[in-house]
Amino acid sequence: MALKRADFPLPDLADERTAEYFAGAARGELVLPRCDSCNRFVWYPEDECPHCGARSFTWTRVSGRGRVFTWTVVRRAFLPAFEEMVPFVTALVSLEEDPAVRIVSYIVDCEPDALAADLPVEAVFRPLQFPTVPDRSVPVPMFVPAAAEPGAR
Amino acid sequence: MERPDWGHTTDLDDVSGRAAIAGVGESAYTKASGRTAREIGAEAAERAIADAGLEPSDIDGLTWNRAFADFDAAAFHEHFGTSHDLWTSQWGGGMTWAGTAPHLAAKAIEAGKATHVLNVFAVAWATQRGSMTGGPGETHAAQPLKQNLEVPFGFFPQPVYFATIMRRHMLEFGTTEEQFGAIAVASRRHANLHPDAVMHEKRMTLDDYLASPVLADPLRMFDSCLISDGGAAFVTTSIDRARDLRQPPAVVAGVGEGTATSGGHWSQQPAFTSTPQVFAAPPAFKMAGLDPADVDVLTVYDPFTVVSMMQIEDMGFCPKGEAGLLAEEGGLSHDSGRLAFNTHGGLLSHAYVLGIAHVVEVVKQLRGTAPAQVPGCEVGVYGGYTGGNASTLILRTDR
Repeated sequence: MALKRADFPLPDLADERTAEYFAGAARGELVLPRCDSCNRFVWYPEDECPHCGARSFTWTRVSGRGRVFTWTVVRRAFLPAFEEMVPFVTALVSLEEDPAVRIVSYIVDCEPDALAADLPVEAVFRPLQFPTVPDRSVPVPMFVPAAAEPGAR
Repeated sequence: MERPDWGHTTDLDDVSGRAAIAGVGESAYTKASGRTAREIGAEAAERAIADAGLEPSDIDGLTWNRAFADFDAAAFHEHFGTSHDLWTSQWGGGMTWAGTAPHLAAKAIEAGKATHVLNVFAVAWATQRGSMTGGPGETHAAQPLKQNLEVPFGFFPQPVYFATIMRRHMLEFGTTEEQFGAIAVASRRHANLHPDAVMHEKRMTLDDYLASPVLADPLRMFDSCLISDGGAAFVTTSIDRARDLRQPPAVVAGVGEGTATSGGHWSQQPAFTSTPQVFAAPPAFKMAGLDPADVDVLTVYDPFTVVSMMQIEDMGFCPKGEAGLLAEEGGLSHDSGRLAFNTHGGLLSHAYVLGIAHVVEVVKQLRGTAPAQVPGCEVGVYGGYTGGNASTLILRTDR
């Protein structure tokens, strides 16, 4: 790869467009940029709100709850970093607060056969580590199947 | 007509019937050849110019793609030993822009900036793969938002994106693995008929498809395009000039271009199982004064089977969600009498040259010289796709 960053494919914490996302994860919070003018979540981060054109955002904590929109079980390691991880599940999770916002992450603690569209999931914060970047890890949001709601038992 | 709000149509001037593709040329399509994209582009350019019955000095316009600037004006002059003025644009080449390059050319010709415009696209990704440079994945990994919000989470590269799109298409429309397989098998059958196709000698049955390795469930290796060395070029000129040249003109009847608001981020695409063809195809058909039912041959940019499926639907060749059925019933075969599709084998089985050979194939079909010839072919369409963009190019025989 032409990418020079030694810790690739860990996220680049110096990138100011996404630094807050990972700072939130380090605190155990899922945070997303919300437009100060129209209050809508803007994901991925943009300089200008696509809904109202405002240019000011506040990274806002969300519940971490959502539903599986789609997923795949990755069986082929497309990067050396993934070689010991395959097979793994990467998914798009639609956020409870705004289903148009989709978070890309791993679904963990879940058998692939148990995955289904609209499966309720919730964020957990775990260190992301790759064998190819041995001395570093970055806490990130991942998702697990949501605990059954008390009333549903 | 009400249009969805997740993208828009480019406002393109009507050029219908005023320009034509008068020459096409192709390099050899191969696995790793050891050649550079510049050499391959030069070979294709040379052949396109000769096919039109022109000399290099007759070419006074050149278009290529800004991200693949291997055969630019300097390369043209160096290769042909010329030094004349060239009108140029970097908004040509392959992918979406293989479909809009004839529009660019038509406008330049109309404005008197050029007479014969050559559009060239070439890649040497099979050769470059040995050194792990270039290729579709690297371009994406370099984008900061993907690098930080997708790659670390295993959502990379393209086979993974399209596996999640396949999954949604299956959930929303009941599409089956066998239906994706039918697209791959139809493409391979066409490649088997095409002597220049990389997979010309390799047969594939539906069982072979189902037995091919799963890369990212439900996406299999045989859902995926090749990685190739190769390129092609075509010469666009005015309709009057084209009629004086040696080949029957492939008349530019309609061009459309659409863009999704989510750009190249598949994960955030609001209409997850649609392409910007929703915004590109209708204006192209309107410009052409034609309808999808008038089309005799369709080639679409097909990096993965699901991209073909979505474009066939979004361009109006069948209702949304029914392209799988059309494929399963054998309707994509060149001799089906229904929708002759990727009759050269496409990116899946002909060569991964990013759409430029798709346009050449349409021109050959209109001339009646394609290996898997559609009988009485009068209208041909190319569907270009680059994730966030799509184009529709409608060509027809001269009346």
